[in-house]
Amino acid sequence: MSIGKATQASTSAPELAGLTLGFVPLLDAALLIIAREGGFFSAQGLDVSLSRENAWSTLRDKVAAGLLDGAHMLAPMPLAMSLGLSRAPCETLAAMVLGRQGNTLVLSQRLANALDVRSDLPRPQGSALALRDCLTRGLAKPRLAMVYPYSCQHLLLREWLSLGAIDSDSEVELVALPPPRMVDALREGEIDGFCVGEPWGSQAEFRQVGKVIASGADMMPGHPEKVLGVTASWARRYPHTLAALIRALRAAASWLDSAAGARRQALEWLALPPYLDEAVAHLDELPVGCAPGYPLLSEGLRPHPSDFYGMAERLQPLLMARGRELDDVTLETCYSSVHHDEALHQPSAITP
Amino acid sequence: MPMPEPDTLSVLLVDDEIVRAAMVEEALANDGHRVVCRLSSPASLNDMVRQHQPDVVIIDMESPDRDTLESMALLQRENPRPVVFFADQHDPQSLKAAVKAGVSAYVVDGLAANRVKAVIEVAIARFEAFQGMRRDLDKARNQLADRKRIEQAKGLLMKHQSCDEEQAYRMLRKLAMDRGQRIAQVAQNVIDILKPLEQGS
Repeated sequence: MSIGKATQASTSAPELAGLTLGFVPLLDAALLIIAREGGFFSAQGLDVSLSRENAWSTLRDKVAAGLLDGAHMLAPMPLAMSLGLSRAPCETLAAMVLGRQGNTLVLSQRLANALDVRSDLPRPQGSALALRDCLTRGLAKPRLAMVYPYSCQHLLLREWLSLGAIDSDSEVELVALPPPRMVDALREGEIDGFCVGEPWGSQAEFRQVGKVIASGADMMPGHPEKVLGVTASWARRYPHTLAALIRALRAAASWLDSAAGARRQALEWLALPPYLDEAVAHLDELPVGCAPGYPLLSEGLRPHPSDFYGMAERLQPLLMARGRELDDVTLETCYSSVHHDEALHQPSAITP
Repeated sequence: MPMPEPDTLSVLLVDDEIVRAAMVEEALANDGHRVVCRLSSPASLNDMVRQHQPDVVIIDMESPDRDTLESMALLQRENPRPVVFFADQHDPQSLKAAVKAGVSAYVVDGLAANRVKAVIEVAIARFEAFQGMRRDLDKARNQLADRKRIEQAKGLLMKHQSCDEEQAYRMLRKLAMDRGQRIAQVAQNVIDILKPLEQGS
């Protein structure tokens, strides 16, 4: 099925015809999957393969080594790569936002039932204070999972704990697990809770393994969550290919936003075996935007440094603990609007 | 005063591929290293690292455990602080080679790079040898399948053309030459055409 619209004649042909982009199975990989299955990439003259990756660190290394042309990346990842926080520095750009918010905080049924949550407080604070009480009464150190050290899930988990005056470093044990492992690990009792992007939180609830106690959007509403990440050297070498990618993804987003039955069709594509497969079996259509746990996939796709300040501020203490500091120049380079605007022929001065 | 580095490095090997893990373990043990091997993927990776305090962790690039391992380095001070070995930014080729071979390694800070490099090179060589073995196995499997297909096509031809085995084989070979196809491919075409006739009769 091809529903992508023909490209404008004025744009230059992409330098690369075939390319491979990495993704991790999450709802906010949807624009990539829609652009491929709906023919939006091919309408731009691109033949894109999507490669499902088992771990964020592997996706990162493959992009840095040039084995992937680009990828669905955690929003802080281009910054972490540029600063060389977990591997050799590799200048990386967030050329476009692929999704905002869409994370849930889930606790095991057992732990959630043990919490005495005050209903007069906002839900993140109410649940965090209830966990504080449990810890004070002698609850064994809970093991909580997030997806990657430089991720919004890690920052959100820390923020949530701080709402209950719980020390993230000493009163809980934080571990990283790839998203598809979360629900099983919770069921097996290997972890007591997690913060992860959809569909894994709703799946935990559907399988009665855990309970969603807050969403990322409760704490950082509309925060940029995933971006299209490419290395700066790749962007320099293939500017027209990057522009074509951005246009195709924008077209996919417009389609998702306006076409009749688009969310249902999108979910059918996501449910194909190479993508999310059975992970979305509990959903009827692609849940977008209407609840705080849902990702925003069709608005705010233009990156802008100011949009990432909140994330950067929360990252700063983590960096400082490792003797590093965040500089504005790197932040502004990573999340510049310039590639996005060039692809859409907009002057860069326009604010989002 | 810094302790002299021991000759033996303790290596934690995380690999679900049993045969490959055995190959790497053997090669490293022959070089005098102490190998702790982990084949399955329970959530005990944290405990494993804590308990064995390895100097080097070698892990399959495609393993979902990589994120867990990396975060340990950043989150838990009591553990040895692993860093990515291929973080040497002057050598992107070695990263590429390692990624291609499927090897990822983490070492404790301060360990002499050349010593670790030797360990990694052994691992890469074994990973590549294993890939070669797997390719050969696939090839052998394909050849066996080809042979079965050719036998079946010959049988069908013998029956439908009332010819002997030798003539049936020559027919297949001629078809393959005329079409510029592999004989196994022609055999499959023959099966596709004649098999339904067989079942229909």
